[in-house]
Amino acid sequence: MTATDSSHLGPDIHDANTAPTQHIDTMSDGTESSSVVAEFAQPAATSAPTTDRVSDAGQTGSEERPRATRVAEGAWLGGVCTGLARHLGWPVMAVRIAFVALATFQFIGVIAYGALWLLLPPESTTKAPGLESANRAGMRDESKPKRRIDWGMLLALIALGVGLLWIMQNTGLGISSQLFWPVAFACAGAALVWRQADTAQQKRWRNEAGGKVWLAPFVARGGWPSLVRVIVGLGLVGAAFGIVLAQRGQISQLPDVMAMTMLALAGLAIVLAPWLHRSRTALNQARAERVRADARADMAAHLHDSVLQTLAMIQRQSDDPKAVQQLARRQERELRNWLYGDELPEATLKAALTAIAAEVEDERGVPVELVTVGDCDTSDAIQALVRAAREAMVNAAKHSGADKIDVYAEVDEDSVEVFVRDRGAGFDLDTVAEDRMGVKGSIIDRMARHGGSATIRSVSGNGTEVRLEIKT
Amino acid sequence: MTENTKQPTSPQPVAERGPYRVVIVDDHAMFRTGVKAEIGRSVAVVGEAADADRAIAVILQTQPDVVLLDVHLPGGGGVEVIRKVHEKSPEQKFLALSVSDAAEDVIGVIRAGARGYVTKSISGSELIDAIRRVADGDAVFSPRLAGFVLDAFSGSIDLATVDEDLDRLSQREREVLRLIARGYAYKEVAKELFISIKTVETHVSSVLRKLQLSNRHQLTRWATDRRLV
Repeated sequence: MTATDSSHLGPDIHDANTAPTQHIDTMSDGTESSSVVAEFAQPAATSAPTTDRVSDAGQTGSEERPRATRVAEGAWLGGVCTGLARHLGWPVMAVRIAFVALATFQFIGVIAYGALWLLLPPESTTKAPGLESANRAGMRDESKPKRRIDWGMLLALIALGVGLLWIMQNTGLGISSQLFWPVAFACAGAALVWRQADTAQQKRWRNEAGGKVWLAPFVARGGWPSLVRVIVGLGLVGAAFGIVLAQRGQISQLPDVMAMTMLALAGLAIVLAPWLHRSRTALNQARAERVRADARADMAAHLHDSVLQTLAMIQRQSDDPKAVQQLARRQERELRNWLYGDELPEATLKAALTAIAAEVEDERGVPVELVTVGDCDTSDAIQALVRAAREAMVNAAKHSGADKIDVYAEVDEDSVEVFVRDRGAGFDLDTVAEDRMGVKGSIIDRMARHGGSATIRSVSGNGTEVRLEIKT
Repeated sequence: MTENTKQPTSPQPVAERGPYRVVIVDDHAMFRTGVKAEIGRSVAVVGEAADADRAIAVILQTQPDVVLLDVHLPGGGGVEVIRKVHEKSPEQKFLALSVSDAAEDVIGVIRAGARGYVTKSISGSELIDAIRRVADGDAVFSPRLAGFVLDAFSGSIDLATVDEDLDRLSQREREVLRLIARGYAYKEVAKELFISIKTVETHVSSVLRKLQLSNRHQLTRWATDRRLV
């Protein structure tokens, strides 16, 4: 929706340079919003006035800048500089140089970079429903450059930690070595918990936790690894407490302090329980909402991919009745299958025949009516049977001139039979030239090799029926 | 439409009759128009309806020879129309016509009392043929319906509940159905089995009766379950 908005508005903006700016603006708005509803509502409200202002003021319209985001495209490290440059309207290289320069002063550049890396939201990648649904179905290769995001994130955290220590030690605020390790432990523990909020999960958590990111590690489902990380992280923080106490020589009080802490935490948990529960419920609702929205998007995408394309093609070929019929037939089969189709298990006779009938129908433009009774798993023999059936269908489509092919498959306790029938020209088996491999090689001999049989009944002018049988 | 074919009583088995009187029930106006254009020359379309309530009223009022009935219909679907109409006029003949060829739709509407089932992709001449057959009291089995019936009656069933008459297909009926499933027209089936077309029609009608009356629980369950496999 956002992308469409901006592209519609695009032509109104006469200064071409402002168009990409506008685009980013609406995109990043999409990222920021926490729920589906907001995602749809917000850009509509903000984008229109923004556009007016930009087009009025031209290049100078700088009050309404794009939100600062981390931009994956053209990024060297975390995309912070690229994002900031877009936000500020500066050249990227200037921002990069500024960061490097700042880094020489007490690592401020490094710290700032690390902090921004953590704080800036990644650029939104909201796309048209069709693309989104295709992505979800794994039908599109999202050509995002593979980035070492995880390592980069870790690196940033380490840099942040080291930088913080450095600045503290150097500014005289430095910590005594007594406190150093507890602080280090506590930092590591906290980092481990928050480390989970890496780019991949942050966005999901934001959705799930209703925007309350800090709640996310406790509320969102992250599977057992996240649980382990939370436990280890909290353990490290606990250890930090222990070390402080030990250093003060009050190690004897450790059990008491621990008990008190546990008690306090338990109390807190009781107080927070209903609230946490409510958050979880809200989160589940948001998720269900999202699933529904996804389903709608999938539906729209399906209609677009199938019906719309077919209608377009039918219009283009409207003077070719055969092609129109073929298109309509294919679309009908596809849509029918989508709406009412049986979930066919992968490797069964029925699935194989269905696929092949569709293939022949598409390739040859002759409708294939498939009826199956019973079903069985495929084996080598069944596969040979299916291939022979395919050959028979292709022959019927190619040579008979019939306007329809009937295929009937029946699975008995002790045999599998397939009939391929057309009402076309028919032929005399004896007159088929030796070099025409189709019938003899692909059907009769193939069936014989797999312990089956093929019978061909053809009356000139009255159609052909190929009967294939295999004992099971 | 033309001659005085308005016999309010149920149709008589007379071979030469005026054009058959047909009511088209479908919620898609475009489809109704299309069908009307295709068959209008050979049969008299005496009424149309777009939903179940309207359909029941129109059918009871016009008493057509055959009702072309869409299975998916606002207001309860085709099954509801058949049930309500048969309460008042048990002889009314229905030919189900649908885009769906899902087993539960096909078996469901046949068991409700339709005398045949064809998909909407059927050609005009085939449809007219089917209407004529249903009007004459025969059953119309598409290859797919024949396949469904064979499939539904093939499973092993609890012997204690078997009603030999209704719960099993005879050898001959099975042969006829298999040929229909293979794409044979009634005429071709007759030739293949060296029997008359009339006999073929008798067999098919008998299968239809079994399909409608058999209380094999499996039948309905089979139709529903097969989607879940």
